Amino acid sequence: MLKSESSIENFPTRGLHRFALAVASLTLVLLVVGGLVTSNEAGDSVPDWPLSFGRWLISSDYFVANIRYEYSHRFIAGMVGFSTFILAVWAWRSDSRAWMRKLGWLAFAAVVAQALLGGARVLTGEAGKPFIAVPHALLAQSFFGTIVAIAVFTSRSWWEQSRVKFSAVDARTARLTVYSVGAVLVQLVLGAGFRHRAFGIIPHIIGAVIVAAVLLWTAMTVVARHKGERSLRRPAITAIALLIVQLCLGVGAYLARLAAAGDAQPLEPMISLTVAHLTVGALLLADLIVLMLRCYGSLAPERAEKTFAAPRAEGVVV
Amino acid sequence: MLKKYGSMIVAAALVAFMIASCKPKKKDDGPVDTGKSPYQSKNDEGTISGVIKFDGTPPDRKRIDMGADANCASAGGEKLTEEVLVTDGKLANVFVYLTGGPVDQFSFQPPSDPVVLDQKGCRYDPHVLGVMIKQTLRILNSDQTAHNVHPTPKNNPEWNESQPPGTAPKEKTFNRAETLIPVKCNQHPWMKANVGVLAHPCFSVSAQDGTYTIKNVPPGNYTLVTWHETMGEQKTQITVGASEKKTQDFTYKSSVAYAPTSLRVEAALILP
Repeated sequence: MLKSESSIENFPTRGLHRFALAVASLTLVLLVVGGLVTSNEAGDSVPDWPLSFGRWLISSDYFVANIRYEYSHRFIAGMVGFSTFILAVWAWRSDSRAWMRKLGWLAFAAVVAQALLGGARVLTGEAGKPFIAVPHALLAQSFFGTIVAIAVFTSRSWWEQSRVKFSAVDARTARLTVYSVGAVLVQLVLGAGFRHRAFGIIPHIIGAVIVAAVLLWTAMTVVARHKGERSLRRPAITAIALLIVQLCLGVGAYLARLAAAGDAQPLEPMISLTVAHLTVGALLLADLIVLMLRCYGSLAPERAEKTFAAPRAEGVVV
Repeated sequence: MLKKYGSMIVAAALVAFMIASCKPKKKDDGPVDTGKSPYQSKNDEGTISGVIKFDGTPPDRKRIDMGADANCASAGGEKLTEEVLVTDGKLANVFVYLTGGPVDQFSFQPPSDPVVLDQKGCRYDPHVLGVMIKQTLRILNSDQTAHNVHPTPKNNPEWNESQPPGTAPKEKTFNRAETLIPVKCNQHPWMKANVGVLAHPCFSVSAQDGTYTIKNVPPGNYTLVTWHETMGEQKTQITVGASEKKTQDFTYKSSVAYAPTSLRVEAALILP
């Protein structure tokens, strides 16, 4: 529990935090449009890369049918890449924490790698596509998670932890949150593998059962042990709510996919349910990353110093 | 450590990109020298004809939603799938061809006339077609919207090219036999065609009334194969005598016609 309710009004990374939130929001939009590309089978609708039909900007005549999804995906990806570059430079110039400055550049490296993978996806033949598309999906979610982490590290609550004493989170609870984040990431890969036809649905269903168990265990442990700690309880309860929504969307998306077998093209409600399932998966990952980072930030001070970056702790590696 | 991870991520992506963009020369890029002697006609070729029948109630043709492209939506013609096209118990779009016998023993010169695949009303016309190895496949775009033509062969090189309205026809050839190559427009995902590539001219596609005719068949013993994109293959042995006209009908059953949907469901459940 917070021993002091006082808060830092002018924490040093206020602007950077807001910008990170904006980049995270834009990245979520990019994930949604990426889901629309896959669900509409639009990945090959623009045959060239990095240009689109030999141009950076296409005319409205071209902006029809599946090209809308693929070109929007490329355009928003460009915006995310540019925003991430600004974020990295901003962090490099303004953040006093060395590891945070490096984290900004790591995010930029990830978005560059993601663009290259996206290009490889376009230029690869049909047979090799799952081998590019699945890592592309994994890196997309990992990049989103990195931006969310930057938003957490630059937030007021993160700075407050340096001067306000929380009731210390035990290391076991903190570790549970890491397992949850890892399990969700693996599950996102299994989902991407199914969507891109790398393998069947069974691994994703087994993954869903395991993720649900790990996540419920984690969230209930956090809620039980830190009832009074709002900053931990809230993401834990949100995770349970998102999990329920996600499971319903997953079942719905799969049933819609079965019903759509034999259709001439991808149709509703399969498209919307699949994209919503992907989006809630990303939100669940973001929520668990917030929970994980807050748990580690709230570890007993001696433990935190050894295992995780505390604010203003220069040179500590995340 | 962060720097190391960042470098590793970019390096891995760069390698993936280079592998994808290098497009290594495939073994099937060039024409195949079969070493077969050219077929010498004795003007005693026969003909195989018949009807592809459909037994039972055909599955409903699925609706195509062309609303994503106004040019397609305003195009005429019925907007229904063509996979299982049955008229009065006769099945269209079945690719019928010969294997074995003289068609495999000799080499055949491809016709100089191209085979035309048109993109019309945001559909491929025809839906199923055959070409010979090295015969020109001329692809037209008669629509007022852009298409991309994307064959995904297994034995021939894959390509994916855009074809805006009013542009010149694309002319392509295939160097290896392959039955059949799926062709898709990724801009309009309902647009699908199938191209059969053979080393000889003894093939046909069943018409709306289910009829097919294979002319100029060298006398000999063959396997006559029918291929349907969702109902699969049927085979029968056939002997064609000198100048003989043979009739061979085939029947696809409705129980098989419903299989593709259930098969796709099962495929989704298969473990890696």
